[in-house]
Amino acid sequence: MQPFNRRLFLLFLRSHNHVSKRLLHKQRITNASVQKKRCDIFDKEAKRQAALITNIEKIEVNYQGQPEDCTLIMNKIISTPYNCAQHLTHAILERSVLAEVNGKVWDMHRPLEEDCTLSFLHFRQADPYYVNRAFWRSASIMLGAVLEKAFKEQLYVELCSFPSPNVRTGSFVYDADLKMSDWKPTKEELRTLSGEMVKLSLANLPFERLEVDAKIALDVFADNKYKKAQVPYIAAQSESGNSVMLYRVGTFVDMSRGPLMSHTGHMGKVSIASVHPIEVENGQLLRFQGVALPKGFLLNHFSFGILEKRAEHLNIGRVPSLPVVDNLNVKKQGIISAK
Amino acid sequence: MNQAEIRKLIPAIRVAIQSKHRKFSNPDGPEGRLHKMRITVTDLIQNERIELKYFRADEARSYAERLIADAIKYGDCHRPTMEMANYWLTEKQLIHKLFKVLVPRFKDSEVSYTKMHKAPNEYPGLYADKVVLELRGNPFPPLDNKPVSTRNWIHNVLLEEARREYRQKKAAEMGMEEGNKEENTD
Repeated sequence: MQPFNRRLFLLFLRSHNHVSKRLLHKQRITNASVQKKRCDIFDKEAKRQAALITNIEKIEVNYQGQPEDCTLIMNKIISTPYNCAQHLTHAILERSVLAEVNGKVWDMHRPLEEDCTLSFLHFRQADPYYVNRAFWRSASIMLGAVLEKAFKEQLYVELCSFPSPNVRTGSFVYDADLKMSDWKPTKEELRTLSGEMVKLSLANLPFERLEVDAKIALDVFADNKYKKAQVPYIAAQSESGNSVMLYRVGTFVDMSRGPLMSHTGHMGKVSIASVHPIEVENGQLLRFQGVALPKGFLLNHFSFGILEKRAEHLNIGRVPSLPVVDNLNVKKQGIISAK
Repeated sequence: MNQAEIRKLIPAIRVAIQSKHRKFSNPDGPEGRLHKMRITVTDLIQNERIELKYFRADEARSYAERLIADAIKYGDCHRPTMEMANYWLTEKQLIHKLFKVLVPRFKDSEVSYTKMHKAPNEYPGLYADKVVLELRGNPFPPLDNKPVSTRNWIHNVLLEEARREYRQKKAAEMGMEEGNKEENTD
């Protein structure tokens, strides 16, 4: 037998494209490699968009709120509400979860586009409806980030989506395909997932927001069959008809309609309560559920236990349905899987 | 003159007064103690909001209350009242303020003329209780914040839903039991 010549083999691969394609296809994909690829695309696109801004224009931002109403001169499409808060007090910077720009709810890290009025939203207002919703949505995204990281490398976790955030259901949700339909987590495993959530919140990572073309979103989610199928639908629903909102937290990239809270540090007590198998059109997914409170909300263990117990029941949120690609009447059908 | 008539002569102080007297020992004796108290009362009338330690504030507060109450009751043509004002207010311009500004302000007041708030301790420090003493109706921004409704805060929303679900479950169980009883009686 002749010794295996590596160089010759590689030359052979280069000349015979179809063979190399099949071989590469069989290579095992891991969550880490996929995450790296996604981050690279995200960074490249962010850089490209930043390079498009050639001349810096100034805008007037009328801030309303404590300690006093004032006018800030900021940079158009560069400065964010977070930057505005940096000019105010540290306490406001720390507690602000969302911003309100011209009456619209706005991410803290979303650049300001025109002259506007600005105020900040936080958890302890009289009616923090939008803040609570954003918190719940962010918790789902964080759960997704944890799921992609927590399992061993051999297991390729494909995240599907999460239903529209509703605090009243008692739990935030992420539906994922673990390729193990009959997995029943032990208490220790759930606790490990909760611990990973805590680690993520302690990392104080910002939720970076980027609006990209559907084509780039397809590139980003090329390795995830569920997300890939959702992209055209989400793009069709967007205002421009062809854009998808990407969010990045640490090494995790996901799409969501937003808005999300400013950074993961807003999460305080958190517990992943249960995992339920759910039936979808073509297969089975696992529904991960948890309950969380913002940082600084102190609830005694008995009361939190009640919330944890309630979060163990299957969440009534919509089960993800894979949309039919050739039907574009999305708004009427209301097939929105990732919100 | 009996007890009831004396009470009519002196207007009642509208804040609680400690039954036990405070010493406020001073190297200059009782005179020094009163001098320091005069400084505090003058400060309060002048600045309308001052921050100081609790014991001195509580003591000076009742002197200020009495001064204003007398001024309202007897006016600026009453000799003993004028003498008292002259004694307690070390800065003489403030006598005009007392009769021309504070008397009209508090003339129809039903409550006390001063207000005391707890203030935060300095850290590190001596941890003596600190307070803010102020005249009501002063021009500064209010110190007591309006209470914000906590009903829609996230933990209350979650707990309220949990309670609702629990009650529904209980009601359903009760209904079942009653249904069973009826079946048994049939």
